Amino acid sequence: MKFKVGLTALAFAAGLASMVPAAAQEKPSSLGLGIFTFTSGPAAAYGMPGKNAADLMIDDFNAKGGIEGVPVKPIYVDEAQGAQGVIAEYRRLAGDPKNQVMVAALSSANCLALAPIAEQLQVPTVGWNCDTHQLLIDGKSKYVFRPNGNTIPEFIAYAIYLLDRKPDVKTVAIINPDYAFGHDGANIFKAALKALKPDIQIVAELYPKMGSPNYQTEISRLATMHPDVVFSNLWGADLENFVRQATPRGLFTSSQVILALGETILQRVPLPDGVIVGVLGDGWWMSPDAKANAETAKFAEDYKARFGEYPVFPSIKMANALIYVKAAYKAAMQKNGGKWPTRAEIADAMKGSTVATLTGTTHTRADNDGLVDQIVGVTVKSPDKPFPVIGDMVRYKGDSLMPKADQDPIAWISTLKPEFVKTLPKPGSYK
Amino acid sequence: MRVVLAAASVVVLAILPMFAPWLQFVLTLAIAKGFAALGVAILLRAGLISIGHAMFFAASAYGVAFLAARGIGDFASLLVLSVVIAALTGVIVGAFLVRYRAIFFAMLNLAVSMVFYSLFAKLYGITGGSDGMAVPIPSVFGMVLSEPAFKDVLFYLSLVLMVVIGLGIHRYLDSPLGHALSAVHTNEVRLEYLGIPVWAVLLIAYVVSAALAGLGGAIAGFAIGRVVPDFAFWTASGHLVLVAVLGGIGGVPGAFIGALFLELLHTAAVTVTDAWNLIVGAALIAVIMFMPKGLYGLFAREKGAER
Amino acid sequence: MSNTVIPLLLDSLASAALIFFAAVGLTLVFSVLRVLNVAHGSLYSIGAYVAASICLFIASRQLSPYLSFVALLFSAVFVAAILGPLIERTLIRWTYGKSEAVQILITFGLFLMLEDLQRMVFGVQSLYEDAPVRLLGTSQIGGVVYLNYQIFLIGMAVLVVIGLRMLIRHTRLGRLITAVVADREMAQSIGIDTNRIFILAFSLGVFLAALGGALAMPTSGVAPGLGADTMVLAFAVAAIGGLGQIEGAAVAALIVGLARVLAIYFVPSLDAVAPYAAMLVVLLIRPYGLFGAVTARRI
Repeated sequence: MKFKVGLTALAFAAGLASMVPAAAQEKPSSLGLGIFTFTSGPAAAYGMPGKNAADLMIDDFNAKGGIEGVPVKPIYVDEAQGAQGVIAEYRRLAGDPKNQVMVAALSSANCLALAPIAEQLQVPTVGWNCDTHQLLIDGKSKYVFRPNGNTIPEFIAYAIYLLDRKPDVKTVAIINPDYAFGHDGANIFKAALKALKPDIQIVAELYPKMGSPNYQTEISRLATMHPDVVFSNLWGADLENFVRQATPRGLFTSSQVILALGETILQRVPLPDGVIVGVLGDGWWMSPDAKANAETAKFAEDYKARFGEYPVFPSIKMANALIYVKAAYKAAMQKNGGKWPTRAEIADAMKGSTVATLTGTTHTRADNDGLVDQIVGVTVKSPDKPFPVIGDMVRYKGDSLMPKADQDPIAWISTLKPEFVKTLPKPGSYK
Repeated sequence: MRVVLAAASVVVLAILPMFAPWLQFVLTLAIAKGFAALGVAILLRAGLISIGHAMFFAASAYGVAFLAARGIGDFASLLVLSVVIAALTGVIVGAFLVRYRAIFFAMLNLAVSMVFYSLFAKLYGITGGSDGMAVPIPSVFGMVLSEPAFKDVLFYLSLVLMVVIGLGIHRYLDSPLGHALSAVHTNEVRLEYLGIPVWAVLLIAYVVSAALAGLGGAIAGFAIGRVVPDFAFWTASGHLVLVAVLGGIGGVPGAFIGALFLELLHTAAVTVTDAWNLIVGAALIAVIMFMPKGLYGLFAREKGAER
Repeated sequence: MSNTVIPLLLDSLASAALIFFAAVGLTLVFSVLRVLNVAHGSLYSIGAYVAASICLFIASRQLSPYLSFVALLFSAVFVAAILGPLIERTLIRWTYGKSEAVQILITFGLFLMLEDLQRMVFGVQSLYEDAPVRLLGTSQIGGVVYLNYQIFLIGMAVLVVIGLRMLIRHTRLGRLITAVVADREMAQSIGIDTNRIFILAFSLGVFLAALGGALAMPTSGVAPGLGADTMVLAFAVAAIGGLGQIEGAAVAALIVGLARVLAIYFVPSLDAVAPYAAMLVVLLIRPYGLFGAVTARRI
């Protein structure tokens, strides 16, 4: 009896599920944006600057009438609840047609988990921070976009900068977090070094668990190997802990240290001079381009006034992602004659777009991956700020470090020749 | 009366997603966790508390992902094989662990599950590290389904399994084997004097509970589309015990009532507050102190009075 | 190879000291109250948060940095004095004589609540103040620069082991505790105020947990998630040493510390597995831990 009811229900449900919600063409009273970031757990140290930037940016949008006259209502989802919670929330938010766009997510694991659902539910989804090159690698994505670029140019940039600055480097040690971002970062960096300077030796590769509070043993291990260079893409509280523990133990004086996400801690931890740092993209709020942009300067000051710190690059990535969403609405409405766009029209407007951001431009390729420039530099004392800033900068063009859309990225890196470096701008050229 | 109520609840569950399609995912997940919590509840009957059962949940979910990556694309085979993986893991782990009682049983389960967790997280090359592995959409009896259609199949199959397996477990608990289980809790030595091999009784219970956790894990893996090491973290195991106790271990429906209640409450609560753990923690303490039979006990008692 | 032996041993000791501090409170509470306190890790991280807050306050007021050493101890006393009696009276007391399942679940509920409360009180940014580390400076040992604070921690761990032993063997309170552990009802019938002993013992456990967190804070900082990670580590160490065995916890901490350091030095991919693998191996050979007495099965 129960079984029969179940079967009837099954048939009924299958029929119902095939109906698609009707497209909205009227301007709604508000536009919901699902914004996914870490607001709790160890990753919140990185996620909160993103949320702060979103709060600030959306208040700013709304003060100027919202997006195309429609006020924006952000709905924040905490990624710390794990993939299942994040997916449940995504589905729930997507069920409401008012929530037209998702800005998701910070973590690569969550982006990878959400991407198939975004395609299935046909919801434009903007990866605001996740940068694994695996996300859009199949080139078939219709609804998932990433205006912030991916791990390939981000980590090749460090290899090139290092070889320009220290051409005689022989030994390299790596300490990265133990998950895809850490392993991918290490693989890309190693592959680039191998292609550009084949005699470099990797003397140690350590992958401490994410969220480890204590790195003393790892630091001892690195010290016993005496590497010329220590490369790390630790981030968040982990990076702060590593730097604070490594500084008094002399790691920064005995080796050239590269902190791929070093900009995020400049205001929080006293970093010595000469550490190679960058912003995984062009999102440095004090870069020459950013300083020349009045909107960026205002954003930075407003941010400082409201949250007590200047923005860090995750804040800029979030702000740029929201600017990207806003631009897509504008483009979509220009295209369809001023009607409120559907989700499909928004996704269509994002495809192939070129958008001016707070810190440069982002161009969306055919595979929906963004081309952004890469800024790398070293820490220097600042004449007017109480914390170190980035000096001796270089700005690599976004497309110069990206493989073509259909190329296998690691294979592409191995085809690079030492001469390749000579064609690129030099450290200190970006002023 | 009871049967009617149970049947009515199942029908309500079946219809609910038609009004709120996103609920289907939440309900599928709740049923999946209900299976795992039922597994934990079976051991609780024998007085054994396992803070490690998430390992079977994860073992089976990873099993699905592995087998799918090795080319097995059939839903039924994946489901059955992954539950078998969980059950076999249960045989091996259980053979060692059912000798222990009380706190030692709890701790050993925790130890084994944390080994699982760290291996899933560490073996980046095999398990994808903390990014986990994707679970593709399988074919159902040779038919290639779209994702929504497959999720419908998954949900209604879970519902059917909940009823069928629930009845099976009910029979098991009512059999001599099941009664022997409760007797372990009250007087283990007498059981041995009666010539009943306690070790075998517990091992069977352990394997059954591992298989149930595995079934839950497989369903969750399919529903989420991704398996991550967090599935096996000790707090996940703690939550399974929490669900079992919240629902009540007095009867099979308890685990499912607990899981559904918790998932729906969570869905409602996340939009209002982010202090979810505070609420659940307080609720857990309150239920243990003031409603030792859990939500199901509340239910069953009312009905008892009615009859 | 030979030039790594000294760093390897020193790293093992330093990491064992931290691990010991994570576990000793858990094992003490179990030895007296027979309660496995799943919220122990949260008390550890609360100790770290309070210590960080006070040390940051001291730094912000530019008071003498030596005060931060006092602050580390004070924060442990402070946490123990408030949360110890509060938790024992409201929750733990209720579980005496109940099954382990109930005890574990009640303290698991407490763990969930404390995790959220910490987030509300201390926020999600990591907190950190390393004045104690800076004051003590560094030393070069075996070709590697170490923090003197790491060596200070090793000394503190040894002090705590000896101190607890003295307390339990050679003081009146210790003898009362021993009497209560041996036979609760008999102790009560000869006029020992067991309620007071329980409060004191639990608060001592909270003190040790908070002290562990406070002492770790200057090198490790404190961020959300510390409680859950500390908890499993403490479980592993307490189980290896034998639940309730203080010296056992110390030996277990050495084993786990050595295992972790060996892993980081030679098979870095296995460092996170090491503590649990060590726990599994020990427990399969000696299920009640290295120093645990075999207890009779309940009849």
